[in-house]
Amino acid sequence: MDRYADMEDKLRILEDLNMMYIRQIALSLQDSDIQKKIDHEIRMRDGACKLLAACTQRDQALEASKSLLTCNTRIMAYMSELQRMKEAQVMQRVARRSSEAGPTDDRRPCKGKVAISDLRIPLMWKDTEYFKNKGELHRCAVFCLLQMGGEIHDTDMVMVDRTLTDICFDNTIVFNEASPGFDLRVELYSCSSEEDYSAGSTPRKLASKLSSSLGRSAGKKLRAAVDPGSGAHTAAVPLLVFGPSVPGPKYHLLAHTSLSLAHVQDNFRTHDLITSEECTYWVPLYGSVCCRLAAQPDCMNQQMMSGCLKVKQLGGDPQSSTNVYGVLKGTNLSCYHRQEDIESNVEPAFTIAINKETRIRASEKDPDSNVQSISISNLYGGEEVTHTVSADSRQETHRWMEAFWQHFYDMSQWKQCCDDLMKIDLPSPRKAALVTSKQGSLYHEMVIDTAGDIGTVTDILTRRMQELELRSQLGTSPPWMSLFAESPGRQRSPRLAGHSPRTPRRLPRSPLSPSRCPRPSLLSSDASLTSDSDSPCSTSPCSRHGGLAEPLSLPSSRFRPRTLSLDAKLSTLRGRGYGGALQCSCQPPTSSLTPIPAQRVSQATLSCSSSTSSNSSSEGRRSPESLDSSPFSRPSSARRSLRSMRAKLDPRNWLQSQV
Amino acid sequence: MSFIPGQPVTAVVQRIEIRKLRQGEHLILGFSIGGGIDQDPGQNPFSEDKSDKGIYVTRVTPGGPAEVAGLMMGDKVMQVNGWDMTMVTHDQARKRLTKKNEDVVRLLVTRKSLEQAVRHSMM
Repeated sequence: MDRYADMEDKLRILEDLNMMYIRQIALSLQDSDIQKKIDHEIRMRDGACKLLAACTQRDQALEASKSLLTCNTRIMAYMSELQRMKEAQVMQRVARRSSEAGPTDDRRPCKGKVAISDLRIPLMWKDTEYFKNKGELHRCAVFCLLQMGGEIHDTDMVMVDRTLTDICFDNTIVFNEASPGFDLRVELYSCSSEEDYSAGSTPRKLASKLSSSLGRSAGKKLRAAVDPGSGAHTAAVPLLVFGPSVPGPKYHLLAHTSLSLAHVQDNFRTHDLITSEECTYWVPLYGSVCCRLAAQPDCMNQQMMSGCLKVKQLGGDPQSSTNVYGVLKGTNLSCYHRQEDIESNVEPAFTIAINKETRIRASEKDPDSNVQSISISNLYGGEEVTHTVSADSRQETHRWMEAFWQHFYDMSQWKQCCDDLMKIDLPSPRKAALVTSKQGSLYHEMVIDTAGDIGTVTDILTRRMQELELRSQLGTSPPWMSLFAESPGRQRSPRLAGHSPRTPRRLPRSPLSPSRCPRPSLLSSDASLTSDSDSPCSTSPCSRHGGLAEPLSLPSSRFRPRTLSLDAKLSTLRGRGYGGALQCSCQPPTSSLTPIPAQRVSQATLSCSSSTSSNSSSEGRRSPESLDSSPFSRPSSARRSLRSMRAKLDPRNWLQSQV
Repeated sequence: MSFIPGQPVTAVVQRIEIRKLRQGEHLILGFSIGGGIDQDPGQNPFSEDKSDKGIYVTRVTPGGPAEVAGLMMGDKVMQVNGWDMTMVTHDQARKRLTKKNEDVVRLLVTRKSLEQAVRHSMM
């Protein structure tokens, strides 16, 4: 053990030396920008290391490890950039190399924004594993690292287990200073969620790392990542990255791919992934990644050139030329009457297309004004239309020509991105409060209605409970409350079957809005409801305690997760003394009766049988009895949702949903 | 638009980008869908092939985000934000469209007039 501690110390010293070295290079280049960035990343890295050492929860450890990996990658990227700059400095012997420097006759394409979003990686579980869903649920934590040049971004972490069909990353990541020859590297890292993170295992890992020389794969990879510089530099890097004694979960590269301009499209595309072999952190990937890669070159969404122009259209009145303020942006030269029109969002007077098919030439000097003009020709539906454009002075004309050439060059470099402006949606600040934390698979989710959400159900239950409580406090506890006692053996049917004679009595409504019942199968079975008139509740699904879960015609395994939670919720509510009122929650699920406000008469329980039997269509027509006795003041949104739920389940219907 | 199982489906599609509209706490798109692999395709009034179980647009709210984006009644939705819509249940389709964390949905839709237009332009 002593040897390991010794080595750790030595590594720490080496690391400190590295830091000093890096800082020195940065200083010597007098590039405070990179230095600041490196300092920032180093601080973040220290923070992540400390957090990793201190945290106890697995989730925290995984997040901290992810930050650590991102920081390390960023540091490496900055370091390689530093080395590049240092080399260039040495080679060119200039005091400072800035990005703008370069021979002026060398045309450079404009930069642009590249955005990648809606990343989705399909998984391919063995069907036996997936459907049976037995045994231990092995989980892996995954995230994506996206690298373009020196910019590195990471996505949020997603936990993957065999209930997931696709790994979805909701983040939209925008790279701001991209050139058309960009290379966007997408890397998927994963870490088994069951590894032993204890610090005890670290010295062994450390030893194994130290024993393998830099010539091995690990060192090779790092050397490839860092630009070929002199050997002395690269030796220091792996030590820096691996760092001494970093306990905790470690992510490993699971798959990667490189995207470039050819992959950019205003659409979703699938790309192949290069995956690594099976190991502890392995997840069965289908082998591709689907995403939306969009690019907005600056020439498409920024004003490349603007100024006053005189425009004459060939074929039109030869003497008339219009004075306009021209703006070159995207695929158009927009000509406004006045410069102020642009700010006030007035439409341009006219627009001349400037696209790949446009031809621009400098034309003869106008004998009158001795100023060269520029002719722009376009093909509009087979017809060639030429505009002659002239600027105020020779200099201006030259600038315009230059701008046009640059624009054409940009369009030739950015290719398909210049056909039309691709939209890039910046991620909205509204965070994941709305997003469910667990990504269920499509097959395990089964919520018909937003009204069927557990949360809504229990909220409504609670509200009804409270209303009922109030009611009972006022001393108007209805006699039928006894119906909802815990003992299922009670004969409820007589009460239920009793119709109109009881009409005048004002009864508070059934405390539970059955429409909120998330068990659609209950509602579709008309048969079971009509039988209520004859038999006690026990035949209906509701006779059980919190019995919303049980008698499902659909395979119950699907509902298992929700069932349990609803059961739990209901039992807690019941525990608070709201009693068996919960029991007959689904009893009269007829749409017409449910949304009755608490003050109104509810014929709900009483006339359920009659109303259900009168329901011939699954739309759930109202029974006249229930209507007459109580005017419903509130709009029946619940009624509608219940009706829609019944409609949904009738196979004779062709469902339509409003989105 | 019938398909042969196992063979790729090709269609001329139009890209439609709908920005959801916030109404209170709901994000709406302003149209209704019908169809799905769990629905009876014979009742679809918009499909040419009565065995087509795809997702069709049955109604477009006038002035809503979908109409503004160019969606038309009778369109068949092929893809939503990269997710396939040709082989989904009705509820899966609805879910794909109503994700709370998405402000924009990018649909690929097809309609008979598109196929016709392509055919005419090729003649």
